[in-house]
Amino acid sequence: MKKDVGFRWKLGMFVTAGILFFAVTIYFVGKQKNLFGSTFHLKSHFKTVSGLKIGNNVRFSGINIGTVDAIEMISDTSVMVDLIIEKSAQPFIKTDAKVGISSDGLMGEKVLVISPGTFTFKSVKDNDILTSKNAIEMEDLMLSMKKSIDNVALISDNLAQFSYKVNNGDGALSKMISDEQFSSTLQSTLVNLQNSSNEFAKFTESMNSGKGALSKLVTDEKFGKTLDSTMMNLKTGTKGLNETIDAAQNSILLKGYFKKKEKAAKQIEIKKANALKKKNTTIIKSDSTKRLLTPKDSIQ
Amino acid sequence: MVIEIKNTFDGIGEFVLFIFRFFKELFKPPLELREFVKQCYVIGYKSLPLVAITGFIMGLVLTLQSRPTLAEFGAESWLPGMVALSLIREIAPVITALICAGKVSSGIGAELGSMKVTEQIDAMEVSAINPFKYLVVTRILASTLMIPLLVVFADGIGILGGFVGYNIHSELNIVRYNSLVFETLGFVDIFPATIKTFFFGFFIGTIGCFMGFTASNGTESVGKAANSAVVYASLAIFIIDMLAVQLTDLIF
Repeated sequence: MKKDVGFRWKLGMFVTAGILFFAVTIYFVGKQKNLFGSTFHLKSHFKTVSGLKIGNNVRFSGINIGTVDAIEMISDTSVMVDLIIEKSAQPFIKTDAKVGISSDGLMGEKVLVISPGTFTFKSVKDNDILTSKNAIEMEDLMLSMKKSIDNVALISDNLAQFSYKVNNGDGALSKMISDEQFSSTLQSTLVNLQNSSNEFAKFTESMNSGKGALSKLVTDEKFGKTLDSTMMNLKTGTKGLNETIDAAQNSILLKGYFKKKEKAAKQIEIKKANALKKKNTTIIKSDSTKRLLTPKDSIQ
Repeated sequence: MVIEIKNTFDGIGEFVLFIFRFFKELFKPPLELREFVKQCYVIGYKSLPLVAITGFIMGLVLTLQSRPTLAEFGAESWLPGMVALSLIREIAPVITALICAGKVSSGIGAELGSMKVTEQIDAMEVSAINPFKYLVVTRILASTLMIPLLVVFADGIGILGGFVGYNIHSELNIVRYNSLVFETLGFVDIFPATIKTFFFGFFIGTIGCFMGFTASNGTESVGKAANSAVVYASLAIFIIDMLAVQLTDLIF
């Protein structure tokens, strides 16, 4: 009997430790899968879950707070996803929080992401339904990628056409590049242009520093002054001339001649005035139409 | 040649009948509880040091061996999970079972064989004790229940060995190591492996008992019984392992 007791407690310890260890392992693995511990459920409807599977992680602020418990088809356009969430996360998830599907890395597992709502809203309750965000599908990504690739193809097509035209066309650009004759004419034109510009340079130089009349006109201050004084002299000279002419008209010797001239001038004026009166009465009508047609005339 | 083949099938038939007899006797009261507890002690507790050392070394070695390959991919952080996964799924059950085949199966074979040779079994029968019930049922039951426990210990100690192995080259605290291990583990990894170990235990006990119980008279047959017990038990372990993997694959 004594011997029995000796080994029995060891056996008991062995078995207890083994079973305990196994139980603890099961517990921890189960906790990872949210089978034990206090949890609550949330639901969300999706148009497509894009490959989400039962057991995928649920993330909130980047922390794994639960797993996907069930995925059910409700109708032809909607899928209900049931989530198990840790109780400790409940106060932080507000009723206006949104659920979206994204993936863990480019090729990784799908992950359900709950984006936080506004803090003024109430916290979620058990079995609440959260609104869902449409996931960015790989297909959509590919589609938009295809669009831009098409654009690139178009651009490169145009570029190819352009370069073809440049190589083979008749335009100025293509001639510049490919036509030898054109380039030689271009060259000669440029040489001419250079020559003429050289001439012009010489001209401007001589104008600036030369002794000719033009250059003096432009540059010499003294010349300008003398020109001015010459003008003044001319003015006074013509004034004097006017006075002498007046004096000549009033002098006795030349009075007769001037009077005859005045009379002849008066007679001519009277004749002209008579002729004009006749003309005006006949032309007045046609003249007014003319004015309407060509307003320039009316100004004149 | 034909006789040899016939003898082989004869042996297999006898073994199957032996298993049937075990189940028949198992549900027939009374159960020899004291002998059962003693066998549990011998098979379970006494094998623990051996299993613990093996498990520890397996974890350590597996970590050190896998490290260079994983480091090449920059996936060293997967090392704990990978080691734990391979330990729990495959290595700990098989290594533990093999160790126990060597220790337990051969022990039972030699013990029962010598009892048979010295006619102790016959003497039991004469004194109105059912030798099958007293010797065989208790041992098979004990090994069926104790081997899984030993495997659980081997898993735990092996993972600990992995932790030590990981810390030889880089540093990681035990909490993070633990979480890395449990992140990778799922019930799919644990349950099939555990169920498998019950079969390992059952066949280790059954083959040991069968070889001892059916030993022919003569001293040399004791050694023969012990030897063939180890050989066939080890073979059975691998066959069961293969079947278990295929079944697991099919179901999960």
